[in-house]
Amino acid sequence: MMYKKKKVTLFIQCLVDTLYPEVAEAMVSVLEDLGLELDCPTEQTCCGQPAFNAGHQSEARSAAKKFIELFEDAEVIVSPSGSCVNMVKNHYPDLFSADSSMLERARAVAAKTFEFTEFLVDILKVENLDARFPAKVTYHDSCHLNHCLGIHLQPRKLLANIRELEFIEMKDSDKCCGFGGTFAVKYADISSAMLEEKVQNIVDSGATVVTGCDMSCLMNIQGMLSRTKAQVKVMHIAQLLSAK
Amino acid sequence: MELTTKAYKQTAKKAIADPILQSALAGLQSRLGPATASLYENLPEGPDLRAKAHAYRRKAVDNLDIMLVTLAGKIRENGGEVHFAATAKDAVDICLDIAEKNNVKHVVKGKSMVTEEIGLNRALMDKGIEVNETDLGEYIIQLAGEKPSHIVAPAVHKTRKEVGELFTEKLGTPYTDDPPTLTRDARQALRKKFMAADMGISGCNLACAETGHITTVSNEGNIRMATTLPRVHVAFMGMERIAANLEEHQAILRLMSMGAAAQQIGGYVSYIGGPAAVDHADGPQAFHLVIVDNGRSRILADEEFREMLCCIRCGACLNVCPVYGKIGGHSYGSAYTGPVGAVVTPLLGGINEASHLCQGESLCGACRVACPLNLNLPRMLLALRAKLSEGDPRWNVKPKSRPEKMLFQVWSRINQNRKVYDILLKLGRLIQKIMPSSNHMIRRLPWPFSGWTQSRDMKPLAGKTFMELWKEHQGGRS
Amino acid sequence: MDPEKQFINTIKTALGRPGNQPPADLFTTSPSQEEKTLLEKIRTRTHQERVPLIEQLRQTVPSLHMDLHLEAGIEEAARAIGRLILEKEPEWGTSKSVVCWDHPLINQLKLSEVAELGQIPIHNTGYDGTDPQRKKEIRSQVEASFIGITSADYCIAATATLAMKTRPGHARSVSLVPSIHVAVVREEQLLADLRELYTLLKWDEAERKEGLTRNLTLISGPSKTADIELVMVHGAHGPRELHLFIIAAD
Repeated sequence: MMYKKKKVTLFIQCLVDTLYPEVAEAMVSVLEDLGLELDCPTEQTCCGQPAFNAGHQSEARSAAKKFIELFEDAEVIVSPSGSCVNMVKNHYPDLFSADSSMLERARAVAAKTFEFTEFLVDILKVENLDARFPAKVTYHDSCHLNHCLGIHLQPRKLLANIRELEFIEMKDSDKCCGFGGTFAVKYADISSAMLEEKVQNIVDSGATVVTGCDMSCLMNIQGMLSRTKAQVKVMHIAQLLSAK
Repeated sequence: MELTTKAYKQTAKKAIADPILQSALAGLQSRLGPATASLYENLPEGPDLRAKAHAYRRKAVDNLDIMLVTLAGKIRENGGEVHFAATAKDAVDICLDIAEKNNVKHVVKGKSMVTEEIGLNRALMDKGIEVNETDLGEYIIQLAGEKPSHIVAPAVHKTRKEVGELFTEKLGTPYTDDPPTLTRDARQALRKKFMAADMGISGCNLACAETGHITTVSNEGNIRMATTLPRVHVAFMGMERIAANLEEHQAILRLMSMGAAAQQIGGYVSYIGGPAAVDHADGPQAFHLVIVDNGRSRILADEEFREMLCCIRCGACLNVCPVYGKIGGHSYGSAYTGPVGAVVTPLLGGINEASHLCQGESLCGACRVACPLNLNLPRMLLALRAKLSEGDPRWNVKPKSRPEKMLFQVWSRINQNRKVYDILLKLGRLIQKIMPSSNHMIRRLPWPFSGWTQSRDMKPLAGKTFMELWKEHQGGRS
Repeated sequence: MDPEKQFINTIKTALGRPGNQPPADLFTTSPSQEEKTLLEKIRTRTHQERVPLIEQLRQTVPSLHMDLHLEAGIEEAARAIGRLILEKEPEWGTSKSVVCWDHPLINQLKLSEVAELGQIPIHNTGYDGTDPQRKKEIRSQVEASFIGITSADYCIAATATLAMKTRPGHARSVSLVPSIHVAVVREEQLLADLRELYTLLKWDEAERKEGLTRNLTLISGPSKTADIELVMVHGAHGPRELHLFIIAAD
């Protein structure tokens, strides 16, 4: 396995870094258990996605430039967040379309950046991590992960191999939770209406845990689950995969 | 185009609070979205057809001058007349002129987005001409004095009860809420209109340059009625709605039927290439095609948005969009609703004027997946937002929201320097202690984040960042 | 400058002509090998090979709310259509009349000679282009008829689609205005799918020569709408029923 010999550089979504460090720790534990050597540039901040999605391309570009400089020497880059990986893979090249040398560097970084479950299943060809998690679990398909990166089956394969985990598909698991970055704040009514439907589908599934591969959506979902005092826990898939 | 997108948030809020509309939208999306997706999965030519069809559309748009000259030439050879309208006003005037020359008093119309866009009905009625929309949904909307809320199902927001009351009031029919009976009432009322009309007006779903035909598609048969029975047929087409040759045309047409109504092919498809010949037993004596620019050439000139001209207005994106599914069509403030409206309305009507349409989406990408041609609407939404952030003289766009821009500029500075970033985080941890909270979640955030806590709690910052933990972890290990 | 030239020039400027040259394959001039093979397959199709097409058609028609009638010959078809005329009630008013295309296959039905039809008028839409009064008469006969009988150029099995070009004698309104549309085709006119139809329309020599005509109509099922609460209703503006008669090959 070629990638097993490579050093994995951790690209930690800013929300995970600052709000959910335990998610990154769980991912570290999974990767270390696989015998991979890890590295983490601790200067990293935000990849620039919120600025980019709000249209502020020059600000997004400076974040992208910083990211490329920090990560371009990495052998392989792995992140626990689908939308951030989508930003690097699909939008960094867009940001530098007018600058050929930066464009080349952006493409090189994009080519070696992977989302966590994609890295496990497609690259390492690992589907069973010998985890055990006795609970009813449902999975939310984050939009950028599903629609932009095509990552849909990988997390389900991994969940299927967790012992004592009962997997339940919720209705419309692939429907947007209403986060959308600044959209959630600027268009709070619309965002809330979308989220309400998502939370209802989660509760209706009967699961006690909702998981996913992107803490942005999960943070949004957690916010309403907490507000409505629903008895459903939010966990990143790495936390389930590292549970023994 | 009349823009009312300033009311986007307000109209959206009302729509969200309307349980009847919510159930209509949910019903529409749950029926059409998955059915269309399953047709794409079973294309006889395989899934590549969609990418190919995208390329066909792009080729036609990239050679639009040749396409239109070829089409016009063939139609003229067949005895039709072709008119070119640079603006909405030109298009309307051409039609008024045709109506006057032919002594037209009664018009029947097939559903057409471009005539909504140019405001044709109003202009005809101002001249004392009776205009009847004949698509059942459009007819209901016209009787109610409302605007369409969906590209293919314009009256999706109306309940059978509302339609029943409307028909009783306007047509004098006995009240019923039975859709077959209501449909028959409209059939009877409109049949008289079809028989009496002097002029039929239609749109054009997709023209075929090489054969010299426009195509109209309907399931009701109303467009065939409107283009067969009256003396004069006037067809309007947005200048981009054309395919080069018949094999490309049929591929796009079939994909359009799948996107629009989850059908292999629309119930009635007509290729119209001119008026009836002298020895034909029926059909219009005169055929006019009005080709409309009205801002499209500006889109054509901008590589960033040219892709939008490949759109065939099938409405598939509306049937999956989670935002449309909540706010309905009227929030978009123009004839073009849903994701397609969010891109095309700003481009035709003004980016600043329609800024809410550019920004009021979650960028989930469902529209791109549902589009029969895989048009990248999210990319174009992002491009519109970029114009609003920095301004663009080519599109007369002024930068929007200085405070937001400044906020992101400050954010950018902080983001560049991890030390400053960490100091801010420490400050944040202090501030969050005084925020109202319960059960380890913040219940209320200050501006500019207050929208968040309107309906949800916020996870507070963790005691240590992962980067701090990593450094400790590495220290412990070495 | 006239509006047309100006319009096209605006487009040329937007496209960056003349630097930007059109691709050679904008309009296709010869069939691909695959299309040639398909044309040959259609031309040489045997009765045996049409059996699965009929089966396919049988499976397609229910979802489109169409009625399929398989008849052994012209006389059988004429009798069946006669029964239909007797059984069905007119939608508007009480008197029955029928309007037919002036078309070889439809004329062979000799409906006016079917004794049971008695006094029911059977009109046809034959017209030589000389008498405008005759055109008015055709129009009023079409409006008065509750059944319209046409043939078609082709019938497509996969989608139950009838393809009709416009020609003298074949009034378009016959398949549109009467409440019931009866279409009669011979088994030989069956095609497998839309791809076959379009390949023929595009590359078959006779089709190519004739072109799509002023009006080519594809009809897949009777008129329908779902504009009120997405409830499917048949007979919005066009026919409420569509009866498709296939006459077996000799």
